[in-house]
Amino acid sequence: MAARVIVVTSGKGGVGKTTTVANLGTGLALRQKKVVMIDTDIGLRNLDLLMGMENRICFDLINVAENECRSFRQALIKDKRVENLFLLPASQIKNKDALTAEQMVRIVDELKEEFDYILIDSPAGIESGFENAVAPATEAIVVTNPEVPAVRDADRIIGLLQAKKIYEPLLVLNRLRSDMVKKRDMLDVDDINDILAIKLLGVVPEDEQIIIATNKGEPVVFNQQSKAGEAFRNIVRRLEGEAVPFMSFNTEPGVFGRFWKMLHGR
Amino acid sequence: MSFATKSLFSEQLVFKGLKQGLTLFIPEDKPFTHWLGVLDEQLERAKSFFRGGSILVELGERKLSPRELSELKAVLTKYQMTIKAFNPLAKKLFSARMKMDEPAPSGVLLVKGTVRNGQRLEHNGDIVVKGDVNPGGELIATGDIIVLGVLRGIAHAGVRGNVQAEIIALTLAPVQLRIAHIYSRAPEGMEVGQGPEIAHIKGETIVVERL
Ligand SMILES: Nc1ncnc2c1ncn2[C@@H]1O[C@H](COP(=O)(O)OP(=O)(O)OP(=O)(O)O)[C@@H](O)[C@H]1O
Ligand SMILES: [Mg+2]
Repeated sequence: MAARVIVVTSGKGGVGKTTTVANLGTGLALRQKKVVMIDTDIGLRNLDLLMGMENRICFDLINVAENECRSFRQALIKDKRVENLFLLPASQIKNKDALTAEQMVRIVDELKEEFDYILIDSPAGIESGFENAVAPATEAIVVTNPEVPAVRDADRIIGLLQAKKIYEPLLVLNRLRSDMVKKRDMLDVDDINDILAIKLLGVVPEDEQIIIATNKGEPVVFNQQSKAGEAFRNIVRRLEGEAVPFMSFNTEPGVFGRFWKMLHGR
Repeated sequence: MSFATKSLFSEQLVFKGLKQGLTLFIPEDKPFTHWLGVLDEQLERAKSFFRGGSILVELGERKLSPRELSELKAVLTKYQMTIKAFNPLAKKLFSARMKMDEPAPSGVLLVKGTVRNGQRLEHNGDIVVKGDVNPGGELIATGDIIVLGVLRGIAHAGVRGNVQAEIIALTLAPVQLRIAHIYSRAPEGMEVGQGPEIAHIKGETIVVERL
Protein backbone atom coordinates (compact mmCIF):
# COMPACT_ATOMS: atom_id res chain seq x y z
CA MET A 1 0.00 0.00 0.00
CA ALA A 2 1.28 3.43 -0.88
CA ALA A 3 -0.46 6.53 0.35
CA ARG A 4 -2.15 9.13 -1.78
CA VAL A 5 -0.13 12.25 -1.12
CA ILE A 6 -2.32 15.33 -1.41
CA VAL A 7 -1.23 18.91 -0.85
CA VAL A 8 -3.89 21.46 0.14
CA THR A 9 -2.95 24.90 -1.06
CA SER A 10 -4.40 28.25 -2.17
CA GLY A 11 -1.99 31.09 -2.81
CA LYS A 12 -4.09 33.56 -0.86
CA GLY A 13 -4.05 33.26 2.92
CA GLY A 14 -6.97 32.61 5.21
CA VAL A 15 -9.24 30.93 2.67
CA GLY A 16 -9.63 27.68 4.62
CA LYS A 17 -6.71 25.37 3.83
CA THR A 18 -6.13 24.29 7.40
CA THR A 19 -9.87 23.86 8.01
CA THR A 20 -10.04 21.67 4.90
CA VAL A 21 -7.11 19.50 5.96
CA ALA A 22 -8.52 18.99 9.47
CA ASN A 23 -11.93 18.01 8.14
CA LEU A 24 -10.77 15.79 5.29
CA GLY A 25 -8.26 14.08 7.53
CA THR A 26 -10.90 13.42 10.18
CA GLY A 27 -13.53 12.46 7.61
CA LEU A 28 -11.24 9.96 5.92
CA ALA A 29 -10.23 8.44 9.25
CA LEU A 30 -13.92 8.11 10.17
CA ARG A 31 -14.12 5.91 7.07
CA GLN A 32 -11.39 3.65 8.45
CA LYS A 33 -8.63 5.11 6.33
CA LYS A 34 -5.21 5.53 7.88
CA VAL A 35 -4.36 9.20 7.64
CA VAL A 36 -1.49 11.49 8.54
CA MET A 37 -1.78 15.26 8.25
CA ILE A 38 1.41 17.28 7.91
CA ASP A 39 1.39 20.95 8.86
CA THR A 40 4.08 22.75 6.83
CA ASP A 41 3.13 26.24 7.94
CA ILE A 42 6.35 26.72 9.90
CA GLY A 43 6.13 29.49 12.48
CA LEU A 44 2.36 29.85 12.07
CA ARG A 45 1.17 26.40 12.91
CA ASN A 46 -2.47 25.94 13.75
CA LEU A 47 -3.60 22.60 12.41
CA ASP A 48 -2.88 21.23 15.90
CA LEU A 49 -5.28 23.82 17.37
CA LEU A 50 -8.06 22.91 14.97
CA MET A 51 -7.54 19.28 15.94
CA GLY A 52 -7.37 20.06 19.66
CA MET A 53 -3.91 18.51 19.85
CA GLU A 54 -1.81 21.49 20.84
CA ASN A 55 -1.00 20.31 24.35
CA ARG A 56 0.33 16.99 23.12
CA ILE A 57 3.12 18.20 20.86
CA CYS A 58 6.58 16.95 21.77
CA PHE A 59 8.39 16.87 18.47
CA ASP A 60 7.63 18.67 15.25
CA LEU A 61 8.33 18.55 11.52
CA ILE A 62 11.69 20.29 11.86
CA ASN A 63 12.82 17.85 14.54
CA VAL A 64 11.95 15.03 12.17
CA ALA A 65 13.63 16.74 9.21
CA GLU A 66 16.80 17.19 11.23
CA ASN A 67 16.69 13.70 12.74
CA GLU A 68 16.34 15.07 16.24
CA CYS A 69 13.95 12.34 17.36
CA ARG A 70 14.47 8.59 17.32
CA SER A 71 11.94 7.96 14.61
CA PHE A 72 9.23 9.96 12.88
CA ARG A 73 6.70 7.87 14.79
CA GLN A 74 7.73 9.68 17.94
CA ALA A 75 6.60 12.96 16.46
CA LEU A 76 3.22 11.78 15.22
CA ILE A 77 0.32 12.77 17.46
CA LYS A 78 -2.49 10.28 17.53
CA ASP A 79 -6.06 11.53 17.59
CA LYS A 80 -8.06 10.47 20.65
CA ARG A 81 -11.48 10.45 18.96
CA VAL A 82 -10.79 8.57 15.74
CA GLU A 83 -8.62 5.56 15.07
CA ASN A 84 -5.87 5.87 12.49
CA LEU A 85 -5.63 9.65 12.47
CA PHE A 86 -2.26 11.30 13.04
CA LEU A 87 -0.74 14.76 12.92
CA LEU A 88 2.83 15.77 12.24
CA PRO A 89 2.79 19.34 13.57
CA ALA A 90 4.75 22.30 12.27
CA SER A 91 7.45 23.93 14.32
CA GLN A 92 6.40 27.14 16.01
CA ILE A 93 9.82 28.57 16.78
CA LYS A 94 12.07 27.83 13.84
CA ASN A 95 11.86 30.13 10.87
CA LYS A 96 10.50 28.93 7.59
CA ASP A 97 13.88 28.47 5.94
CA ALA A 98 14.57 25.64 8.36
CA LEU A 99 12.90 23.12 6.03
CA THR A 100 13.91 22.01 2.53
CA ALA A 101 11.94 20.34 -0.25
CA GLU A 102 14.33 17.35 -0.14
CA GLN A 103 13.60 16.84 3.54
CA MET A 104 9.88 16.91 2.86
CA VAL A 105 10.24 14.33 0.11
CA ARG A 106 12.27 12.09 2.40
CA ILE A 107 9.79 12.35 5.29
CA VAL A 108 6.82 11.60 3.07
CA ASP A 109 8.67 8.67 1.52
CA GLU A 110 9.15 7.18 4.97
CA LEU A 111 5.48 7.62 5.86
CA LYS A 112 4.07 6.47 2.53
CA GLU A 113 4.02 2.74 3.14
CA GLU A 114 2.11 2.97 6.39
CA PHE A 115 -0.77 5.23 5.44
CA ASP A 116 -3.64 5.49 2.98
CA TYR A 117 -3.58 9.26 2.88
CA ILE A 118 -0.96 11.90 3.55
CA LEU A 119 -2.55 15.35 3.61
CA ILE A 120 -0.15 18.28 3.49
CA ASP A 121 -1.31 21.68 4.77
CA SER A 122 0.55 24.34 2.81
CA PRO A 123 1.30 27.86 4.00
CA ALA A 124 -0.10 30.81 2.04
CA GLY A 125 2.03 32.32 -0.73
CA ILE A 126 4.07 30.94 -3.59
CA GLU A 127 7.51 30.99 -2.01
CA SER A 128 9.65 28.29 -0.45
CA GLY A 129 6.95 27.15 1.97
CA PHE A 130 4.66 26.40 -0.94
CA GLU A 131 7.48 24.63 -2.78
CA ASN A 132 8.20 22.45 0.24
CA ALA A 133 4.57 21.50 0.67
CA VAL A 134 4.14 20.60 -3.00
CA ALA A 135 7.43 18.77 -3.51
CA PRO A 136 6.32 15.36 -2.17
CA ALA A 137 2.71 15.57 -3.41
CA THR A 138 1.24 13.77 -6.40
CA GLU A 139 -2.23 15.29 -6.06
CA ALA A 140 -3.47 18.71 -5.03
CA ILE A 141 -6.57 20.36 -3.64
CA VAL A 142 -6.85 24.08 -4.33
CA VAL A 143 -9.00 25.95 -1.83
CA THR A 144 -10.55 29.25 -2.80
CA ASN A 145 -13.29 31.67 -1.74
CA PRO A 146 -15.90 33.28 -3.96
CA GLU A 147 -13.93 36.51 -4.25
CA VAL A 148 -12.01 37.85 -7.21
CA PRO A 149 -8.58 38.04 -5.49
CA ALA A 150 -8.87 34.51 -4.09
CA VAL A 151 -9.86 33.15 -7.50
CA ARG A 152 -6.97 34.97 -9.19
CA ASP A 153 -4.53 33.44 -6.74
CA ALA A 154 -6.08 30.01 -7.19
CA ASP A 155 -5.56 30.37 -10.93
CA ARG A 156 -1.93 31.29 -10.39
CA ILE A 157 -1.47 28.31 -8.09
CA ILE A 158 -3.05 25.92 -10.59
CA GLY A 159 -0.53 27.08 -13.19
CA LEU A 160 2.33 26.52 -10.75
CA LEU A 161 1.03 23.08 -9.78
CA GLN A 162 0.78 22.10 -13.43
CA ALA A 163 4.37 23.22 -13.91
CA LYS A 164 5.18 20.71 -11.16
CA LYS A 165 3.35 17.99 -13.07
CA ILE A 166 0.23 18.00 -10.91
CA TYR A 167 -1.98 18.45 -13.95
CA GLU A 168 -5.41 17.91 -12.45
CA PRO A 169 -5.76 19.65 -9.13
CA LEU A 170 -9.20 19.52 -7.49
CA LEU A 171 -11.12 22.57 -6.34
CA VAL A 172 -12.78 23.26 -3.01
CA LEU A 173 -14.86 26.41 -2.97
CA ASN A 174 -15.17 27.53 0.64
CA ARG A 175 -17.34 30.14 2.38
CA LEU A 176 -20.07 30.42 -0.20
CA ARG A 177 -23.05 32.50 0.92
CA SER A 178 -26.15 31.68 -1.05
CA ASP A 179 -27.93 34.88 0.01
CA MET A 180 -25.12 36.96 -1.49
CA VAL A 181 -24.86 34.85 -4.62
CA LYS A 182 -28.58 35.31 -5.19
CA LYS A 183 -28.20 39.06 -5.15
CA ARG A 184 -25.19 38.72 -7.45
CA ASP A 185 -23.01 40.22 -4.74
CA MET A 186 -20.80 37.14 -4.79
CA LEU A 187 -19.32 35.02 -7.55
CA ASP A 188 -21.22 31.79 -7.94
CA VAL A 189 -19.98 28.30 -8.67
CA ASP A 190 -20.40 28.75 -12.42
CA ASP A 191 -18.42 31.99 -12.49
CA ILE A 192 -15.54 30.27 -10.76
CA ASN A 193 -15.72 27.10 -12.84
CA ASP A 194 -15.60 29.25 -15.95
CA ILE A 195 -12.30 30.75 -14.92
CA LEU A 196 -10.50 27.94 -13.17
CA ALA A 197 -11.77 25.08 -15.30
CA ILE A 198 -10.67 22.30 -12.96
CA LYS A 199 -12.71 19.54 -11.38
CA LEU A 200 -14.87 20.71 -8.49
CA LEU A 201 -14.44 18.54 -5.42
CA GLY A 202 -16.95 20.41 -3.31
CA VAL A 203 -18.56 23.62 -2.15
CA VAL A 204 -18.51 24.48 1.55
CA PRO A 205 -20.97 27.11 2.76
CA GLU A 206 -20.14 29.90 5.16
CA ASP A 207 -21.05 28.41 8.51
CA GLU A 208 -20.61 29.74 12.02
CA GLN A 209 -20.30 26.15 13.22
CA ILE A 210 -16.82 26.17 11.70
CA ILE A 211 -15.77 28.98 13.98
CA ILE A 212 -17.23 27.18 16.98
CA ALA A 213 -15.52 23.95 15.88
CA THR A 214 -12.21 25.74 15.39
CA ASN A 215 -12.31 27.15 18.89
CA LYS A 216 -13.27 23.80 20.40
CA GLY A 217 -10.57 21.93 18.51
CA GLU A 218 -13.15 19.58 17.07
CA PRO A 219 -13.48 19.53 13.28
CA VAL A 220 -16.94 20.30 11.96
CA VAL A 221 -17.25 16.94 10.12
CA PHE A 222 -18.20 15.46 13.50
CA ASN A 223 -21.23 17.74 13.59
CA GLN A 224 -24.22 16.09 11.95
CA GLN A 225 -26.28 19.28 12.14
CA SER A 226 -23.84 21.50 10.29
CA LYS A 227 -24.15 22.21 6.56
CA ALA A 228 -20.40 22.71 6.36
CA GLY A 229 -19.93 19.38 8.09
CA GLU A 230 -22.14 17.72 5.50
CA ALA A 231 -20.19 19.44 2.71
CA PHE A 232 -16.92 18.08 4.07
CA ARG A 233 -18.37 14.59 4.43
CA ASN A 234 -19.42 14.75 0.79
CA ILE A 235 -15.96 15.93 -0.22
CA VAL A 236 -14.45 12.95 1.57
CA ARG A 237 -16.72 10.58 -0.32
CA ARG A 238 -15.87 12.20 -3.66
CA LEU A 239 -12.19 11.95 -2.84
CA GLU A 240 -12.80 8.23 -2.33
CA GLY A 241 -14.27 7.98 -5.80
CA GLU A 242 -18.00 8.07 -5.01
CA ALA A 243 -20.26 10.13 -7.26
CA VAL A 244 -22.06 12.35 -4.75
CA PRO A 245 -24.48 14.96 -6.07
CA PHE A 246 -23.67 18.52 -5.15
CA MET A 247 -25.64 20.04 -2.28
CA SER A 248 -28.13 22.68 -3.21
CA PHE A 249 -27.65 26.07 -1.64
CA ASN A 250 -30.75 27.41 -3.32
CA THR A 251 -28.78 29.32 -5.86
CA GLU A 252 -29.89 29.93 -9.36
CA PRO A 253 -26.70 29.77 -11.32
CA GLY A 254 -26.49 31.21 -14.75
CA VAL A 255 -29.81 33.05 -14.92
CA PHE A 256 -28.17 36.46 -14.92
CA GLY A 257 -25.85 37.63 -17.62
CA ARG A 258 -22.21 37.71 -16.82
CA PHE A 259 -20.70 41.10 -16.77
CA TRP A 260 -17.27 42.41 -17.36
CA LYS A 261 -17.47 44.02 -13.97
CA MET A 262 -17.90 40.72 -12.17
CA LEU A 263 -15.01 39.08 -13.93
CA HIS A 264 -12.59 41.87 -13.42
CA GLY A 265 -13.63 43.11 -10.05
CA ARG A 266 -14.14 46.69 -11.15
CA MET B 1 30.70 67.24 -31.95
CA SER B 2 32.74 64.10 -31.88
CA PHE B 3 34.29 62.33 -28.98
CA ALA B 4 35.98 59.16 -27.97
CA THR B 5 36.93 57.99 -24.54
CA LYS B 6 40.52 58.78 -23.69
CA SER B 7 43.02 56.05 -24.16
CA LEU B 8 46.30 56.45 -25.93
CA PHE B 9 46.96 53.04 -27.29
CA SER B 10 43.85 51.06 -27.65
CA GLU B 11 41.66 51.13 -30.70
CA GLN B 12 38.40 52.93 -30.33
CA LEU B 13 35.13 53.28 -32.03
CA VAL B 14 33.77 56.69 -32.78
CA PHE B 15 30.54 58.05 -31.33
CA LYS B 16 29.22 61.13 -33.06
CA GLY B 17 26.35 63.40 -32.24
CA LEU B 18 24.31 63.56 -35.43
CA LYS B 19 21.04 65.40 -35.70
CA GLN B 20 19.18 62.09 -35.46
CA GLY B 21 20.97 61.32 -32.22
CA LEU B 22 24.16 59.86 -30.80
CA THR B 23 25.58 57.51 -33.42
CA LEU B 24 28.09 54.69 -33.14
CA PHE B 25 30.21 54.12 -36.24
CA ILE B 26 31.32 50.57 -36.92
CA PRO B 27 33.97 50.55 -39.68
CA GLU B 28 33.91 47.94 -42.40
CA ASP B 29 37.65 47.26 -42.54
CA LYS B 30 37.83 44.66 -39.79
CA PRO B 31 35.60 41.75 -38.83
CA PHE B 32 32.52 42.57 -36.80
CA THR B 33 33.58 40.44 -33.84
CA HIS B 34 36.77 42.46 -33.60
CA TRP B 35 34.82 45.68 -33.26
CA LEU B 36 32.46 44.11 -30.74
CA GLY B 37 35.42 43.41 -28.48
CA VAL B 38 36.65 46.96 -28.88
CA LEU B 39 33.20 48.32 -28.12
CA ASP B 40 32.87 46.22 -24.99
CA GLU B 41 36.18 47.49 -23.59
CA GLN B 42 35.42 51.03 -24.54
CA LEU B 43 32.01 51.02 -22.86
CA GLU B 44 33.46 49.32 -19.80
CA ARG B 45 35.82 52.26 -19.38
CA ALA B 46 33.15 54.89 -19.88
CA LYS B 47 30.30 53.08 -18.19
CA SER B 48 28.68 55.98 -16.45
CA PHE B 49 28.73 58.11 -19.55
CA PHE B 50 26.80 55.79 -21.82
CA ARG B 51 24.59 54.04 -19.31
CA GLY B 52 20.91 54.03 -20.19
CA GLY B 53 21.38 55.67 -23.58
CA SER B 54 19.57 54.85 -26.76
CA ILE B 55 21.89 55.14 -29.76
CA LEU B 56 21.97 54.90 -33.52
CA VAL B 57 24.39 52.56 -35.25
CA GLU B 58 26.00 53.33 -38.60
CA LEU B 59 27.08 50.17 -40.38
CA GLY B 60 27.77 51.53 -43.85
CA GLU B 61 27.52 48.69 -46.34
CA ARG B 62 27.90 46.01 -43.73
CA LYS B 63 24.99 43.63 -43.26
CA LEU B 64 24.52 41.99 -39.89
CA SER B 65 23.51 38.39 -39.47
CA PRO B 66 20.84 37.74 -36.84
CA ARG B 67 23.58 36.32 -34.65
CA GLU B 68 25.82 39.36 -35.01
CA LEU B 69 22.86 41.57 -34.25
CA SER B 70 22.04 39.75 -31.07
CA GLU B 71 25.70 39.87 -30.02
CA LEU B 72 25.75 43.61 -30.57
CA LYS B 73 22.55 43.98 -28.57
CA ALA B 74 23.99 41.82 -25.81
CA VAL B 75 27.05 44.05 -25.46
CA LEU B 76 24.91 47.18 -25.39
CA THR B 77 22.48 45.66 -22.92
CA LYS B 78 25.38 45.07 -20.56
CA TYR B 79 25.65 48.82 -20.28
CA GLN B 80 21.89 49.36 -20.33
CA MET B 81 22.06 50.78 -23.83
CA THR B 82 19.60 50.19 -26.62
CA ILE B 83 19.55 50.67 -30.38
CA LYS B 84 17.19 53.32 -31.65
CA ALA B 85 17.87 52.84 -35.36
CA PHE B 86 20.47 51.82 -37.91
CA ASN B 87 22.35 53.69 -40.60
CA PRO B 88 21.31 57.29 -40.04
CA LEU B 89 23.61 58.32 -42.89
CA ALA B 90 21.60 56.40 -45.44
CA LYS B 91 19.10 58.48 -47.41
CA LYS B 92 16.19 57.13 -45.48
CA LEU B 93 16.33 56.51 -41.77
CA PHE B 94 15.43 52.91 -41.38
CA SER B 95 13.66 52.09 -38.21
CA ALA B 96 15.69 49.78 -36.03
CA ARG B 97 12.84 47.32 -36.24
CA MET B 98 12.99 47.08 -40.01
CA LYS B 99 16.71 46.91 -40.48
CA MET B 100 17.39 44.53 -37.65
CA ASP B 101 17.01 41.48 -39.84
CA GLU B 102 14.70 39.97 -37.26
CA PRO B 103 14.63 36.22 -37.51
CA ALA B 104 11.83 35.14 -39.81
CA PRO B 105 8.60 34.38 -37.94
CA SER B 106 8.67 30.78 -36.83
CA GLY B 107 5.10 29.89 -37.68
CA VAL B 108 2.24 29.28 -35.30
CA LEU B 109 2.59 28.54 -31.63
CA LEU B 110 -0.27 26.26 -30.60
CA VAL B 111 -1.10 26.39 -26.91
CA LYS B 112 -3.26 23.59 -25.58
CA GLY B 113 -5.18 24.47 -22.43
CA THR B 114 -5.72 27.47 -20.24
CA VAL B 115 -3.16 30.25 -20.01
CA ARG B 116 -3.36 31.13 -16.34
CA ASN B 117 -2.59 34.08 -14.10
CA GLY B 118 1.17 34.62 -14.03
CA GLN B 119 1.84 32.73 -17.26
CA ARG B 120 3.29 34.68 -20.16
CA LEU B 121 3.90 33.39 -23.67
CA GLU B 122 6.02 35.22 -26.21
CA HIS B 123 6.30 34.07 -29.76
CA ASN B 124 7.82 35.29 -32.98
CA GLY B 125 4.87 34.49 -35.23
CA ASP B 126 1.19 33.81 -34.55
CA ILE B 127 -0.24 32.35 -31.35
CA VAL B 128 -3.29 30.10 -31.23
CA VAL B 129 -4.70 29.10 -27.84
CA LYS B 130 -7.04 26.13 -27.58
CA GLY B 131 -8.53 27.28 -24.30
CA ASP B 132 -8.97 30.42 -22.23
CA VAL B 133 -6.56 33.16 -21.32
CA ASN B 134 -7.32 34.11 -17.73
CA PRO B 135 -6.86 37.49 -16.03
CA GLY B 136 -3.14 37.91 -15.36
CA GLY B 137 -2.19 35.68 -18.31
CA GLU B 138 -0.31 37.32 -21.19
CA LEU B 139 0.18 36.56 -24.86
CA ILE B 140 2.74 38.44 -26.90
CA ALA B 141 3.13 37.74 -30.61
CA THR B 142 4.81 39.42 -33.55
CA GLY B 143 1.87 38.19 -35.61
CA ASP B 144 -1.79 37.46 -34.88
CA ILE B 145 -3.35 36.09 -31.73
CA ILE B 146 -6.27 33.70 -31.88
CA VAL B 147 -7.98 32.43 -28.74
CA LEU B 148 -10.41 29.55 -29.15
CA GLY B 149 -12.00 30.36 -25.82
CA VAL B 150 -12.37 33.37 -23.57
CA LEU B 151 -9.66 36.03 -23.66
CA ARG B 152 -9.66 37.73 -20.26
CA GLY B 153 -5.97 38.48 -19.90
CA ILE B 154 -3.65 40.67 -21.93
CA ALA B 155 -2.96 40.14 -25.62
CA HIS B 156 -0.34 42.04 -27.57
CA ALA B 157 -0.33 41.25 -31.29
CA GLY B 158 2.11 42.67 -33.86
CA VAL B 159 4.49 43.50 -31.06
CA ARG B 160 7.32 44.53 -33.41
CA GLY B 161 5.18 47.13 -35.10
CA ASN B 162 2.95 45.09 -37.40
CA VAL B 163 -0.19 47.24 -37.59
CA GLN B 164 -1.91 44.60 -39.71
CA ALA B 165 -1.92 42.14 -36.83
CA GLU B 166 -5.25 40.99 -35.43
CA ILE B 167 -6.61 39.56 -32.23
CA ILE B 168 -9.47 37.10 -32.49
CA ALA B 169 -11.31 35.36 -29.66
CA LEU B 170 -14.46 33.32 -29.31
CA THR B 171 -15.23 35.61 -26.40
CA LEU B 172 -13.30 38.82 -26.13
CA ALA B 173 -13.17 40.11 -22.55
CA PRO B 174 -9.62 41.32 -22.09
CA VAL B 175 -8.29 43.76 -19.52
CA GLN B 176 -6.26 45.37 -22.24
CA LEU B 177 -5.59 44.91 -25.94
CA ARG B 178 -2.44 45.97 -27.70
CA ILE B 179 -1.70 45.86 -31.39
CA ALA B 180 1.66 47.19 -32.63
CA HIS B 181 2.15 50.47 -30.75
CA ILE B 182 -1.53 51.02 -29.90
CA TYR B 183 -3.02 50.19 -26.52
CA SER B 184 -6.64 49.99 -25.61
CA ARG B 185 -8.30 49.48 -22.28
CA ALA B 186 -11.72 47.98 -22.14
CA PRO B 187 -14.29 50.64 -21.33
CA GLU B 188 -15.71 50.45 -17.82
CA GLY B 189 -18.83 48.39 -17.51
CA MET B 190 -18.53 47.11 -21.07
CA GLU B 191 -20.58 44.01 -21.54
CA VAL B 192 -18.75 41.01 -22.86
CA GLY B 193 -19.75 40.40 -26.46
CA GLN B 194 -21.61 37.30 -27.45
CA GLY B 195 -19.82 35.27 -30.05
CA PRO B 196 -16.48 35.57 -31.78
CA GLU B 197 -14.95 38.99 -32.23
CA ILE B 198 -11.95 40.46 -33.94
CA ALA B 199 -9.82 43.40 -32.84
CA HIS B 200 -7.68 45.32 -35.31
CA ILE B 201 -6.33 48.77 -35.94
CA LYS B 202 -8.44 51.29 -37.78
CA GLY B 203 -6.83 54.68 -38.11
CA GLU B 204 -5.12 55.21 -34.78
CA THR B 205 -7.36 53.10 -32.56
CA ILE B 206 -8.17 49.49 -31.94
CA VAL B 207 -11.71 48.58 -32.93
CA VAL B 208 -13.57 45.42 -32.00
CA GLU B 209 -16.02 43.89 -34.43
CA ARG B 210 -18.13 40.77 -34.65
CA LEU B 211 -16.48 38.14 -36.71
N1 LIG C 1 -16.82 27.82 5.67
C1 LIG C 1 -16.44 28.65 6.66
N2 LIG C 1 -17.35 29.35 7.35
C2 LIG C 1 -16.98 30.19 8.34
N3 LIG C 1 -15.70 30.40 8.71
C3 LIG C 1 -14.73 29.73 8.06
C4 LIG C 1 -15.04 28.83 6.99
N4 LIG C 1 -13.88 28.31 6.52
C5 LIG C 1 -12.89 28.87 7.26
N5 LIG C 1 -13.38 29.73 8.18
C6 LIG C 1 -12.61 30.54 9.13
O1 LIG C 1 -11.65 31.28 8.40
C7 LIG C 1 -10.44 31.39 9.10
C8 LIG C 1 -9.28 30.93 8.22
O2 LIG C 1 -9.38 29.53 8.00
P1 LIG C 1 -8.09 28.62 7.87
O3 LIG C 1 -7.17 28.84 9.01
O4 LIG C 1 -8.55 27.23 7.61
O5 LIG C 1 -7.47 29.22 6.56
P2 LIG C 1 -6.02 28.97 5.94
O6 LIG C 1 -6.18 29.03 4.47
O7 LIG C 1 -5.42 27.75 6.50
O8 LIG C 1 -5.24 30.25 6.47
P3 LIG C 1 -3.64 30.51 6.38
O9 LIG C 1 -3.38 30.96 4.98
O10 LIG C 1 -3.43 31.58 7.39
O11 LIG C 1 -2.97 29.21 6.73
C9 LIG C 1 -10.59 30.57 10.36
O12 LIG C 1 -10.85 31.42 11.43
C10 LIG C 1 -11.77 29.68 10.06
O13 LIG C 1 -12.49 29.38 11.22
MG1 LIG D 1 -3.50 27.49 7.49
